[in-house]
Formats: sequence, structure tokens, C-alpha cells
Amino acid sequence: MGEKKRISGCVAVANAVKLADVDVICSYPIRPYTGIMSELARMVADGELDAEFIHGEGEHGQLSVVYGASAAGARAFTGSSGVGVTYAMEVYSPISGERFPLQMAIADRTLDPPGDFGSEHTDALCCRDQGWLQGWASTPQEALDMTLMWYRIGEDPRVLLPQYACQDGYFVSHILGEVDIPAAAQVKEFLPPYKNHHTLDTRKPQIIGAQIEPVMGPPLQYQRYNAVEGSRKVIAEVHEEFAKIFGRKYAPFVEEYMTEDADVAIFMQGGHAETAKIVARRLRNLGEKVGVVRLRTFRPFPTQEVREALSKFKAVGVVDNSANFGISGGAGVLLTEARTALYNLGDKVKTLGFVAGLGGEMITHEEFYRMFNKLKEVAKTGKVDKESFWLPFEL
Amino acid sequence: MLEEIKSLRKAPREECYVPGHRTCAGCGPALTYRQVAKAAGKNTIFIGPTGCMYVANTSYGCGPWTVPWIHAQITNGGAVASGIEAAYKAIIRKKKTDAEFPAIIVMAGDGGSTDIGLQALSAAFYRGHDILFICYDNESYANTGIQTSPTTPYGAWTTFTPAGPVVPEGKKLLPKDNPKIMAHGHPELKYLATASIGYPLDLMNKVRKGINAKGPAYLHIHAPCPKGWSFPSDKTVELAKLAVDTGMFQLYELTEDRQYRVTYQPKELKPVEEYLKLQGRFAHLQPEHVAKLQNFAQGRLQEVGIEATVPPAAE
Repeated sequence: MGEKKRISGCVAVANAVKLADVDVICSYPIRPYTGIMSELARMVADGELDAEFIHGEGEHGQLSVVYGASAAGARAFTGSSGVGVTYAMEVYSPISGERFPLQMAIADRTLDPPGDFGSEHTDALCCRDQGWLQGWASTPQEALDMTLMWYRIGEDPRVLLPQYACQDGYFVSHILGEVDIPAAAQVKEFLPPYKNHHTLDTRKPQIIGAQIEPVMGPPLQYQRYNAVEGSRKVIAEVHEEFAKIFGRKYAPFVEEYMTEDADVAIFMQGGHAETAKIVARRLRNLGEKVGVVRLRTFRPFPTQEVREALSKFKAVGVVDNSANFGISGGAGVLLTEARTALYNLGDKVKTLGFVAGLGGEMITHEEFYRMFNKLKEVAKTGKVDKESFWLPFEL
Repeated sequence: MLEEIKSLRKAPREECYVPGHRTCAGCGPALTYRQVAKAAGKNTIFIGPTGCMYVANTSYGCGPWTVPWIHAQITNGGAVASGIEAAYKAIIRKKKTDAEFPAIIVMAGDGGSTDIGLQALSAAFYRGHDILFICYDNESYANTGIQTSPTTPYGAWTTFTPAGPVVPEGKKLLPKDNPKIMAHGHPELKYLATASIGYPLDLMNKVRKGINAKGPAYLHIHAPCPKGWSFPSDKTVELAKLAVDTGMFQLYELTEDRQYRVTYQPKELKPVEEYLKLQGRFAHLQPEHVAKLQNFAQGRLQEVGIEATVPPAAE
């Protein structure tokens, strides 16, 4: 069966790509995701993986190559980080619009400036409304599992959508964790070969991506909207089947940690949530009623699940690891999305936004203690004097 | 292997580019497409970057091809073709399909080839993908309403290069020479040629040579545009021939040892003025501008080894 190894998030993803028997890979170097590609290049060179490994001329080229590859019937993989993710922006909508279920790994990195190599979710969040499925892994194991699950979900004939499999740069991509690498036979059972009914085949000529008149736009967009909405059911199903075959059970949308009878909770996504869990556990040891809710699937946004999870608390602190200038609420994307999910419940749950870990800084235990303290204060008084905080400057 | 077409009479009867589009009357790029598709045949996949041959061909969600066609962005024809080629190589090798390896042809305009699409084109050729990249050159961004592109000739009027008292010649720059860019510096290149819709037999055979070549092939096709160049729509082929006969466009291919081989030598070169005077886009030119264009044509002719003695223009 499977084998256990201590590997990084990057190497974990490369192992998943190999297990998925991907046909076409397109690379371009940028830290920190590069580690995925160098591992895949090694696998191809060593004969462990039979795939075309194309050196793209840039991220725009990478996404264009996999667009063509997926259109021709190949399972395709690419990835990027930071400004590389935004450089490819033009091609994301055509990929989801033509319903090509290829996968892109994103190991997060700041945009420029500051141009440091640090992790920030800003890059991947810039692409959040392009018709792709999107989720964050918080450990190397989850990065491997997410890669396999996203292919299965995206290629489901009821879905046919591309997927961003995101992980924090460095904190997940370069930190070693114990990873259970599944056996090829298990993956074969879980992930059937890629089949798409609209591919480029001269025996069945089709026109893909015809220009249309304005009147034909709304139905086309509505189809894509329904594909994204309809994926929720498939996401839940696939997580169940994954647990059956591989024995690892993930909550498909939101993972709850010590939330039973909690008064306050942190809501966030990605690897920093592991730090938040440690702090919550310590506070629990001190008798504090605190918990953590970690978002696993960001697109489609699990409005119902988030509402159910967060409505139990008196106060929720939403941690945004992205730079969003001038956004409503003054924090980040997650705060606005979480508030929208809670909106119809009235003012029952107080929500605060915490912008933290920008530029690749750690979100420290100390910072999480401060966030929990602020939340306890709001829960106790029922009053919100200031609704968003940029850490460490404002809290 | 696709065989040489010996005469126009012996060209395939079957059309792979059929009615069902709404290109302008006298459209040079549409004639290009018809000739290319006829020569390429059924086992062909076309990639269509944004441009006239996307917008005018696929409106209303239908299109005029009997073979597969896929849209690419104006930026990325070369990269999308690379992906299709790599996919076919992989899935044939891994026995995931029983399809035959197809001819993969990009039909890009001059913007999608020489300007915003140049990076993707160059990268595909550097990597050595087995594709045929065709630039149908109508010398402007015509679909967006006639704006200058890198191949717009010196002195041409476009909406971005209007002639006026301060800029009497309109476009001030000499055009980019994309075949020369592609001919040198891409070691994997397997075939390169220029062609004109005025010389269809030559064009179709160059398409076949490009497909037969095992690796990247580039074909630069001169395709007059009645709307953008301001000439009557029944003069497209005449204009195409005149461009060659005046030396404003040269027909050649690159031999295996990277030498230019002229494939059509005009019997007697005509002054460029004969070509310019038929087009409204050059109507504002003064004699000194015409002289500059004459020099330009002679320079380009000499570069590929065409005897460039031109009789003086009639007074």
C-alpha cells in the first residue's frame, strides 16, 4: 500500500501529480512553487513519470499551454506564485469558460511590492472569481490529497472546471511534514482517466470558443455559474469517497476545531490556522471557550456551511492573510465573504477583521492571543469600537 | 506526407473553409484561410487567436470550418498550439487515444504574430513543437477598426497614424520583418516561407511543406484588406500581385542551410507607386515619402537576393 515519508508541500504535490498520471506539465520558475516543478522534472528525467514537460515562456504561456493540452484531451498541470499568478490573468477565464478541468498549484507569495519571497494569499485571491474551484491546504499531506481530490472533482462530467490547489508559500510548501503517499492502485480506483466530450479531434470536428453575440452571453455565463454552484454536491461526494479509499476524512468545506460551546472563534484558511489551533488549545487549557474554524474550500464559497459554523459564536475574528486596499470593512476578502454569509442573521454574531502575516511574516502565538483577547472583550460587552485591525500596527 | 500540388487544376476539390462567415467583401485573410485549409485537408486542427479571422468567422456561435477549431487569445496562439501538440504526443505515446497526429495550424493576424503574440510564437519555435504558424498579414489591427501594427508599412494611414500637418507621412516607422526574426535565432525551425494570396499554388504548396516538416514551420502570408487599405473589394488579388511585382512583398523560402531561396522572381519590377496609388491609405504621401518606400522595397528585395533594378516611375 502507501508509504510514509517526511516531505515538503511542494514534493507532496509533485507526488500527487505523478500518481494522477498527468500527461502535460508546463513550468516557469518563480519561488516558492518552483519546488513542485523541479521535483516533477526529476521524476520525468528518472523515468518515474511519463509526461511532456514544457518550459513555458512565462506564466501567461504556462496557462496557455495547459489550455491547449486540456483541449486536446490531456490531463494537464501547471503552477505559480506571486506576480506569476497575476501575469497569467488573461487566460484563467478562457480556461473555465471552455470548461477545461486542468489544475494549477499556487504556493502563495506576495505581489510586488514588497517583492520579498514571503507568503501571502493575495496572489491566489486576485483570481477568485474566474470560474475556477479553489481551496487551501494547511499541511503537506493535505496538499497531496487536495491535488488528487481537485482533479477528481474538476473532471467530473457534472463539473468540468479548472482548479486552483493553493498552499501557503514556505509555511506549507517548504516545511517538511509526514505524508502518507498513497499506492498507485488506490489512486487508480479513485481517479478515472480524464475524458472530456469536447476535445480537439479531427474525427469529431468541433468549434471551441466561438465568439458570440451579446444576447448569447447571459446563458453562457449562467451555465458556468451553475457549474460552479453545482460543484458543491460533487465536492461533498468526492470527500466521502476519498475517506473510504484512503482513510483520511476531511470536512469538505469548513473544518471546526474546539468549537463546541465556544463563545469566540477565529475563522481563516491556510497553514497559519495550525498556529491558531495551538493557541486555542492552550486557551482551552486555561478554561477559555475558544475555537478555530478553518475554511478548506474557498470557491465555491460555502455560504451555508460558514453560516452554520459561525452563527454559534458571540464573536468571530476573521484572519485575512491578503492585502486588500480600500475593501469594505477595512480588512480583507475573507471578512467580506464571511460577513455576507452571516448577513441575514442580523447582528447576532459580531465580526472583526484581522489582517495578519503580510509579507510572509509569521502570525505569532502572541498575535493570536491578542486577537482572542479582543474577541473576548467584544463578546463580553457586545460592543464593537473598531471593526478591523492591521497587525502588528493596530493590535 | 502531403503531396505537392502540381497545378491549380489538381488542387483538392474539397473545401475545409466553407461559407458561413461574415468577412468583408474581398477579404484577403478569408481567401488565405480557404487556400490554407484546402491544402492542409481534414486531419487539421486550427488555432485562431483573436483577430479578424476569429471575430468575423465565428460570430453567432457558428463557424466556417469542417475541421476542429479553437480560439486562442491574441497573445497566445503559439503557446496554445504548443499545448495541443504536447498533448497529442503524450496521449498517443501513452496509448490514451487511437487518433493520428494532426496538422496543428495557428492562423494569427499580424498583431497576434508580430506584436502581442510574438513571445508565444518565439517560445513555441524555440521549444521545437511540430506546428505550422501562419501569419495572415493584412498590415493592421483591422478588426478593431484599422490601427497600426508592426507590419503596417511606412507612410500608411491608420486611425492611430493619421496624416496631418505635423506628421505628413502618417506612419513614421518602417515595418517589422517577422520572417527574418523567425528565420534566425530559432535553431529548431524546420521550414519558413512567405506567400501571397495572389499566388495560390505557391501558397498551398508552402502550407504542405510546412505541415510535412517535422517541427516548427512559419509561413508569412500577405493578405490585402480592402477596408483597412481603402481599395475596391474586387481588387484584392490584383493588389496582392502588385505587392509582389513592385517588391513591396517578396516570395521566398528558407532552405535547410538557412539560405533564402526566391520562389517567385518578378519578370520586371514595377515602381512601388503603381501599388501605392491604388490604396487610399497612401493617398496623402508626398514624393519624398514614396521615395522612402521605394528604397525600403529595394532593401528588402536585396536581402533575399532578388534583382532590384527598378525602372524610374513615369513622370
